[in-house]
Amino acid sequence: MAIRTARHTTEQSGLDMLPVSTTQPASPWRWRVTAYVLFIGIWQLLSTFVFEPFVLPSPVAVVQEMWQIFSSGDFWSNFFATTRQLAIGFVLTFVLGTALGIVMGRSAYWNAIFRDYIMVTLTTPGLVFALICVMIFGLSAVGPIVAIVLTSLPHVTVNVVEGVRAIPRDLIDMATAYGVDRRTILRNVMLPSLAPYMFTAVRYGFAIAWKITALTELFGGAKGVGIQIRVAFQFFNTSGVLAWAFFLVGLALIIERLVLTRLEARFFRWRPKAFG
Amino acid sequence: MHATAPTAAQRSPFDRVRRVVVSPRAARLTAPVLFVVAWQLIVPLLSSRIIPMPADVFREMIDIAKDGSVFEAFAISLSRLAIGFALAVVIGGVLGVAMGISPRLEAMLHDFVIVGLTFPYLIWGLLVAMWFGFGSQGPIIVVFIAALPYVMLNVLEGVRDVSKELRDMARAYEVPSARVMRQLVVPSLSPFLFAALRYGLANGWKGLVLAEVFAATSGAGWAIADNSDYGNFAGVVAYSLYFAIVSIAIETVVFDRLSRRVFRWRSVAAGRGGRSIEGVDRKIDEEV
Repeated sequence: MAIRTARHTTEQSGLDMLPVSTTQPASPWRWRVTAYVLFIGIWQLLSTFVFEPFVLPSPVAVVQEMWQIFSSGDFWSNFFATTRQLAIGFVLTFVLGTALGIVMGRSAYWNAIFRDYIMVTLTTPGLVFALICVMIFGLSAVGPIVAIVLTSLPHVTVNVVEGVRAIPRDLIDMATAYGVDRRTILRNVMLPSLAPYMFTAVRYGFAIAWKITALTELFGGAKGVGIQIRVAFQFFNTSGVLAWAFFLVGLALIIERLVLTRLEARFFRWRPKAFG
Repeated sequence: MHATAPTAAQRSPFDRVRRVVVSPRAARLTAPVLFVVAWQLIVPLLSSRIIPMPADVFREMIDIAKDGSVFEAFAISLSRLAIGFALAVVIGGVLGVAMGISPRLEAMLHDFVIVGLTFPYLIWGLLVAMWFGFGSQGPIIVVFIAALPYVMLNVLEGVRDVSKELRDMARAYEVPSARVMRQLVVPSLSPFLFAALRYGLANGWKGLVLAEVFAATSGAGWAIADNSDYGNFAGVVAYSLYFAIVSIAIETVVFDRLSRRVFRWRSVAAGRGGRSIEGVDRKIDEEV
């Protein structure tokens, strides 16, 4: 049965013609819009007829709350604090993670030294790091930054290690044999093969980093989105929690989809399509 | 490596010791030792007095193991994980196959799956606390929500990935469908099911722990946050180390063994040469 269903897929969605991109299927926008309308409609119905407003606020109430946060200026001051920590933490992560990844990719010894740490930090819940960082650094802004580095570093490192291993040895050997100088090799052989891994590293690291920032702020911080979420939670303000959550997810999606993905597309313009 | 092995016997004892110490295998033992030594040395230098020493943490770890509280906490958490994840596999599997069959359904659900992947578990944890209060219900729901998009996406990809040429050929040669199922569909779906299992469980676990902080009065996530609330920092670190041990156990024992069994049929050449960070490599291989 599964066989027939699978054939169905490829024929109906025309995926045979789109061998590369599976994340962006040729989707009729009508169905997407329908889904959004359905979602908001069901939410509205549930909030008016089934649940009390303080349990499940209506979409309108959440939008009003978002507007109120936005117009009162709370939005800017809190997002500035969070974004600053995120930026500092992430730049640190990227630099340290790349260095560590290169060392681990080149040496079996360093790989063995760090391999268990990487595995443990990849799989341990971020909560653990958030609590320990709050414990050590208290309410200062250092806590979230250290938490970002601890949790997103392994994601960067793992990808860089892969990238270093994927550098084509034979091309370098050939270039060396033909007397190509090191700078040219670095620019034309090493960097191009490392680049896709670096971009994956950035995207993975970022996906972890913004979540851990909010989480660490929630347990101990002075200003930021995490604090606002905690305050809303403590006052049992469901629409406040949802409003801040939507802002946070919105910001993360914008950075990821518009900035990182664009940057990547721009960087890989030179590539023939079949390559990706 | 192999070329130098015979000459090793002729080297001086010091050289031999040095060789052993710098070998990658020894390094895996050196690393935790270095970690503990650094911890012991650095903590007295810090101005903060609340950071526990390794010995305190070790005592605490033994205490909570002796009175059984750590086993109880993890047992409760793992059973919640099992229930939530089972629900996610069933419902996510059905939805994933349905999305594979119907491009309309896929268009409808695609954006929600993406947002589902992105939405922080922290927020779900807070929401279920407000909706369901304290208990097992909230954490189980968060496990379900956390694992669901991973299961859906991987099943969807798996359904798409079943080779069309091989299916056509099997039909042309009238291969019985049971055999097609066993020798074509299951093998080509299995890496995706495996990825679904892996990511679903890993993320379900992360979501569960957060949900337990806000929406439960038992379980491992609650226990570590409770220690933190009462200022028992040795307890926080002790629980953190138990978390790490559980992570390693699941990762190496369950997944490495399991994946080796599942992918037995794959040719050796397809895998990466040498011993790499196995557990970690696959994390990026199967990007959703």
